[in-house]
Amino acid sequence: MVLQTALLIGLVIFSVLAILLKDLLKSAIALAAASLLLGIIFFRMNAPYAGVFEISVVAGLITVLFILTIALTGAGHDVRESKLVNWVFPLVFVAFIVIDALVMKSLLGKVPALPSGTEAGTFGDVLWKGRTLDLVGQIAVILAGVFAVLALFRKRDKHD
Amino acid sequence: MTNTWYLYLFFAAALVFAGLLGLLGKRNLIKLFIAIEVIGKGISLLLLSTGFAKASILTAQALVITYIVIEVSLVATALALIINIYRQTKSLDIRDLAKLKG
Amino acid sequence: MIILFVVLPLIVAGLLPLIGKVSRRVLPDLLANGTLLFLLVYAAVAGRALIAGGPVLQQSAWLGEAVNLRLALDGFSLLMLVAVSLVGLAAGLFSIDYMEHYGAKANYYALYLVMVAGMNGLVLATDLFSVYVFLEVAAVASYALVAYGLGPDELEAAFKYLMLSVVASAFLLAAIAVVFGMTGSLEFAAVAAALKELNAGAVLGIASACFLLGFGLKAALVPFHAWLPDAHPSAPAPISAVLSGLLIKVSGVYAMTRIFLNVFGLTPALSTVLMVLGAVSMVVAAFLALGQKDMKRMLAYSSISQVGLIVLGIGIGTPLGIAGGLFHLFNHALAKGLLFLNSGSVQQATGTRDLAAMGGLAKRMPVTAATNLIGSLSIAGVPPLNGFWSKLIIIVALVQAGHPVFAVVAVLASVLTLWYYLLIQRQAFFGKLNEKWAAVKEAPFWMTVATVLLALLCVGIGILFASTVTTWIQPAADVLADGVHAVTGSWGF
Repeated sequence: MVLQTALLIGLVIFSVLAILLKDLLKSAIALAAASLLLGIIFFRMNAPYAGVFEISVVAGLITVLFILTIALTGAGHDVRESKLVNWVFPLVFVAFIVIDALVMKSLLGKVPALPSGTEAGTFGDVLWKGRTLDLVGQIAVILAGVFAVLALFRKRDKHD
Repeated sequence: MTNTWYLYLFFAAALVFAGLLGLLGKRNLIKLFIAIEVIGKGISLLLLSTGFAKASILTAQALVITYIVIEVSLVATALALIINIYRQTKSLDIRDLAKLKG
Repeated sequence: MIILFVVLPLIVAGLLPLIGKVSRRVLPDLLANGTLLFLLVYAAVAGRALIAGGPVLQQSAWLGEAVNLRLALDGFSLLMLVAVSLVGLAAGLFSIDYMEHYGAKANYYALYLVMVAGMNGLVLATDLFSVYVFLEVAAVASYALVAYGLGPDELEAAFKYLMLSVVASAFLLAAIAVVFGMTGSLEFAAVAAALKELNAGAVLGIASACFLLGFGLKAALVPFHAWLPDAHPSAPAPISAVLSGLLIKVSGVYAMTRIFLNVFGLTPALSTVLMVLGAVSMVVAAFLALGQKDMKRMLAYSSISQVGLIVLGIGIGTPLGIAGGLFHLFNHALAKGLLFLNSGSVQQATGTRDLAAMGGLAKRMPVTAATNLIGSLSIAGVPPLNGFWSKLIIIVALVQAGHPVFAVVAVLASVLTLWYYLLIQRQAFFGKLNEKWAAVKEAPFWMTVATVLLALLCVGIGILFASTVTTWIQPAADVLADGVHAVTGSWGF
């Protein structure tokens, strides 16, 4: 539990770094590190499939997409961020953490829940037979993404 | 709900809030999208820890995996938009995207 | 085989890019519109027979094993399917001519069909998370379609739309996670039954607030409406028609209504919140519409206003109010679709959306002017068009339920609506013909076919409103008025 909490704290720290760091490339790497930690957190929750997906897809594929975009938008990196935000962000965030902790402590045991049953079957059963409609949805969203990218990068011979 | 669920809820809320703050304060389009990714992490953490607390870890994994696939499509589309915006306006500053007033 | 509503558009969409390499125009046009026509006929003809004996629950088997492809078709879903197919077909036909100069038509139709598949999947799903998945399917397709013109305005609008939408989705998932935590299940029937047992009070209220935030943004209710007046005008006209006519209603109003009325149960507090939000949207957006110079922006604000009226009607909670709200949902889909398509005809003919620059177009584009008049009067609620009856039902329901103030507000908003629509009609179509437009021609064949089709429906439904209400609206309203029983009783798989 202690290790898990340490991993969670690391996750939050790297995520905040990803938002605050000035250099875009370092931000992307911080995001990848955060995803890596999240994947490990998933593993330790007995969720190996989610962990593998998080690490290979989010820390891997999505980071690559980000780095690709950062490379393709070369000179646009000098967007001057507001200096005020760099001071305000940590302060507001820490304030939120305190409020968050107090709220969670007061909520302990207050959320009503039905007793949980046992889960039948293997992960394969649950995914393929239990949530088949979601798989159709996944195919649909992948099609949507592919067609979106094709549409947005198509060759234009006439302008609208 | 077990007590560990509240611990995970605490961290998930922190991540979502960090992302929302980033959306409000940052100006670089790519940074804004990184903030959205952070929100996504918070949500997937919340989903999986809820499944963990309810002894439905398999269902939760199926949900998180589907969510990650949706996220990939979203990232691809959003980054395609950002690259197009950069090619047209040569800028990644959200303040330069102020033509439309909502 | 209601799975066809989801799978058929997806399969055709998957094949379209390959077909597009062979035939750039004819085959994609034919296939896409053929699919939409098939779905419309299937829904309109076979649908009613299917649900005659109660909701149809389908659990498909694949390769011999039972898989959880659980879809449910009841009165409410069927109404949405018919609306999606109708306006989808009209906008598809319109696209045959309109999308010529955008390029990559096969790709456009592929995205379009994926969006339709997403919307159909949403209304047929029986599971909270599946609703979210198909909501995202339609949303991702819509982001690309809004940006399809690849101009700076379109890209900016699409980007802002995407950002706000993703935040809304995050709140939706948070609410879904909390409900999952409380009830241990995601299926509508199981969740409804568990919530009754639990007596969850405050936490359910927080979950409802998150759902309201998420779906409210998708439906563009004030104060979550800021993305719509930029996104809908920037999109190509047929897409604006589908976004305003269908997507905000399917992703926003349908999902919210299904979950609040059939799964959570409509509490008095929730009813009040919905009614207030609806009324505020209705009035604020109507005022904002008045000041617009851009034709499509005015239509966009009008959409926000009319969705406010729909939510107000459904929020009353009485069977009459729900029926009025659903009838207006259907009518607005037809009429707003028609108006946006016309704006596309005008934009293509004159090259502008600025109302001040137009004038007297009726002399050169008589059919467009006539259909536009029908659409405008329909939304403004002028008898004997369809919009009049749905607005009347909502106002009567408000009075009957003891909300005279809301009723007066609704009437006043309707007057405002009539005013700004007549403004459009006068500035764009009537009056003296502006010299610049002396040479414009009427809209091309398929664009005219699409708009005439929708206009005829507006008139037809207006005249035959009684039978329309009994055959299509009443079954839908009954399902919702049943509240939680509709789902726990007959949807248990």
